[in-house]
Amino acid sequence: MDPALKLWLVILVVGALNFFSRLSFIAFFARRSMPPMLALALRYVPVAMLTALIVPMVLPGPPMVVPDVPSPKILATLVAGAVAWLTHSTLKTLVAGMIALWSLQALYAAIG
Amino acid sequence: MEIRTARDRAPSALESGRQERVPRVLPFFVRKIYRSKDFREGFADMLPACVGLVPFGLVCGVGAVAAGASIWGALGMSAIIFSGAAQIIAAQLLAAGAPIAVIILTCVVAGLRFLMYSAAIAPYLRPLPPRWQRALAFLLTDQAFAAAIRRFDAGANPRAGGLHFLGAGFALWLCWQITNVVGYFAGNLVPASWSMEFAVPLCFIALIAPHFKSAPQVGAGVLAGVAVVALDGLPMRLNLIAAGVVGILAGTAIDLAQARWTRR
Repeated sequence: MDPALKLWLVILVVGALNFFSRLSFIAFFARRSMPPMLALALRYVPVAMLTALIVPMVLPGPPMVVPDVPSPKILATLVAGAVAWLTHSTLKTLVAGMIALWSLQALYAAIG
Repeated sequence: MEIRTARDRAPSALESGRQERVPRVLPFFVRKIYRSKDFREGFADMLPACVGLVPFGLVCGVGAVAAGASIWGALGMSAIIFSGAAQIIAAQLLAAGAPIAVIILTCVVAGLRFLMYSAAIAPYLRPLPPRWQRALAFLLTDQAFAAAIRRFDAGANPRAGGLHFLGAGFALWLCWQITNVVGYFAGNLVPASWSMEFAVPLCFIALIAPHFKSAPQVGAGVLAGVAVVALDGLPMRLNLIAAGVVGILAGTAIDLAQARWTRR
């Protein structure tokens, strides 16, 4: 298949399927009421799903491993988590997390 | 005979309230949204998250080059697919010459979490007219979702929350196009030693940290984190969605147990 054609097929099909995934339950529950149990469970979607996305970005891998000595990324994540929890500010979290990461990387490199 | 339309059925929060009907003519429509305070706040609220998006966008741009895409192909990916994970997967598999069915299936699996986001945001978007629901659904990303839930939970009405969501989503979409294009032409200029990719988890942390206040929310986060490592062996990165489900079930179970405890 022509590579450009293949690329555009992927773009259009994946784009459409992504859009329908995003619209699915918004459209479904536009006319129906939501069961209370489901509404309760859905309150935990942001924390559960984003934590599941964060952890693989912080741990070394793939395959994911939990190192014996915490890596600079793991420690910087804890610093950023504390700053985010205290300030609720994306910008402060970004700045604190990156500075923590760079200092820890420098420190680890110096120690060896 | 009375003809009932979708608009009669749901007197929308967007059009009720003040006399400010959202006009059907596009330019007025755009101007009115642009003037709205909530739209502007949503746009401004997402600017720090846009900074965090830069490295991710650059990586996607670089990926598009590796996949042999033209600049239009790269823009098509960022503008239409509008999902970093799916774009990176698609680019890698295209570069590797994978069959088209495999590429599509893998991308859709990566996008399964959108089903959960869609369900979680659905009650808040229910009062909005269908075309607003469609527009906001298109802009539903990890960041926009978390920010919109926060805004609605803070007490925004459907109209204000919808406009805020639209502003936030538009800021992210615009930033995504710019960073993808920059990545396409100059993505390799940022040295890997800067670890700029770390900005992506940092943004996610900032979005969820305020939720870590109650036992069910902490339980949901911890269990999801443990599960994503434990289930790492699953194919097609299904561990992400599986861990999300584990976290949601854990949060719900703790919530129910708490409710039963306090009732006694």
